[in-house]
Amino acid sequence: MMKKIIMLTMITCLFSSCVVVKEYEKVNINDPDMALADKKCDRNVTTAHSYREAAVGANGGKTGGGCGCN
Amino acid sequence: MCVFAFAKAYSQTSQDSTKVYKKRVLETVEVDFLSSYYSQDGDNAAVSGGIGTEELTDVTGTFVVSIPLNDDDVLTIDAGVSAYTSASSSNVGPFDDGPADPFQASSGASSSDLWANVTGSYSHSSDDRNDIWSAKLSVSTEYDYFSVGVGGSYTKLFNEKNTEVSVNGNVYIDTWNAIYPTELRPFGEGGNGLSNRLFTQNTITGNTNYAPIFTEFADEGRNSYSLGFGFSQILHKNVQGSLALDFVQQQGLLSTPFQRVYFGDVADSFIENFQLADAIERLPDSRFKVAAGGRLNWYLNETFTVRTFYRYYYDDWGITSHTASIEVPIKITDKFTLYPSYRFYNQTAADYFRPYEEALSTDEFYTSDYDLSEYSANQFGFGVSYTDIFAKAHIWKLGLKSIDLKFYQYDRDTTFSSSIITAGFKFVMD
Repeated sequence: MMKKIIMLTMITCLFSSCVVVKEYEKVNINDPDMALADKKCDRNVTTAHSYREAAVGANGGKTGGGCGCN
Repeated sequence: MCVFAFAKAYSQTSQDSTKVYKKRVLETVEVDFLSSYYSQDGDNAAVSGGIGTEELTDVTGTFVVSIPLNDDDVLTIDAGVSAYTSASSSNVGPFDDGPADPFQASSGASSSDLWANVTGSYSHSSDDRNDIWSAKLSVSTEYDYFSVGVGGSYTKLFNEKNTEVSVNGNVYIDTWNAIYPTELRPFGEGGNGLSNRLFTQNTITGNTNYAPIFTEFADEGRNSYSLGFGFSQILHKNVQGSLALDFVQQQGLLSTPFQRVYFGDVADSFIENFQLADAIERLPDSRFKVAAGGRLNWYLNETFTVRTFYRYYYDDWGITSHTASIEVPIKITDKFTLYPSYRFYNQTAADYFRPYEEALSTDEFYTSDYDLSEYSANQFGFGVSYTDIFAKAHIWKLGLKSIDLKFYQYDRDTTFSSSIITAGFKFVMD
């Protein structure tokens, strides 16, 4: 698993070296719906998932704190 | 030589007298009000050993206030409360009044609680906005739990802000105020066992020689340490993605003290219809978790955007999990956007999970918490957002910038299902 993650990161880095989007070309990238995070109003949904599901992390949600026991 | 010296001096003077324009990280005070109503139900309550109602409702309200302290620094205060009522946890004490039954709520103190949280965070950006440091402190409390968290992160942007790498760390120091099932308390330290009035005033049926395995937890602390790495990249003027890798180590009391377990090799005892606990769940005092996830967002055109997410999760309790989701924001006008979404989740069972009556009294660890069982879940969502970039509507000095409303329906392939309605209101100060 770790090897795959490292490989994926390296491939993405290689892509990054040949693509540079200029600031004036980032109109679409800067669209709020393109944000690489959940919307704030989804925070309680992520919290509910972290209480009811075993998996946490890698999604911007909490990774600790609180019992999540109810 | 003199000309060179003059030119150099002039250029230095010119540089000194030139003011570099620096955009503020945050232009003005922003206030978010977030609220949600959550409800769930199912037939596998952990409080009653894997059988019984999981009915629960929860209402939350949170204010998030972001204050620009200067061009570079932002202070964010995040304060919220969450109030729940739970038929499941009401059965920590099922013998209060009315019929004792795992499928019916009790009226005791454990049927509701209030959770409150305050988090303060501070971020600083460098002049070129390529370096961002942040730190945060959080405190949360509820009747049987208290948590203090500290954290920090560093983010570096380069490649003309096309590439971003980040690292973050968090530590949570938590303390339980352990609450045990009512019928087990007489068997704790200083208890009077079957002489307790619970047993003298009620009739035990089935195995009348009720003798649970029970000792109170000596250490009620739980610490969580997390370390996370992030990488994001603009791949095209319409496509960007990110990778995240989180490691979490938890230590201390990881069992939930009021969750019952019924052993298959012990005769059952009852008061009314409620089966008396053979034990409470016992889980190891450490857990190591790894989560690796990625996002890929694609701006298709002025109407459609595609947002995707995938995560793989592993922990040393034997659970592996996959999460995948897709959301397709659809801009129907310049003010309104629709948000249809779908999410799939599955997980394998923890090594210590045993359904109702399948754990043995000789096992070292056991739980009948179906949140740790094997299952898969589908979630469908739909939302709508309203955005007014000019924030014309006002409350006092705050202009309403956006409203988000979303609904999600979540169904496991067991009896469990839940739904949540969320609302978010964003204001900016004039």
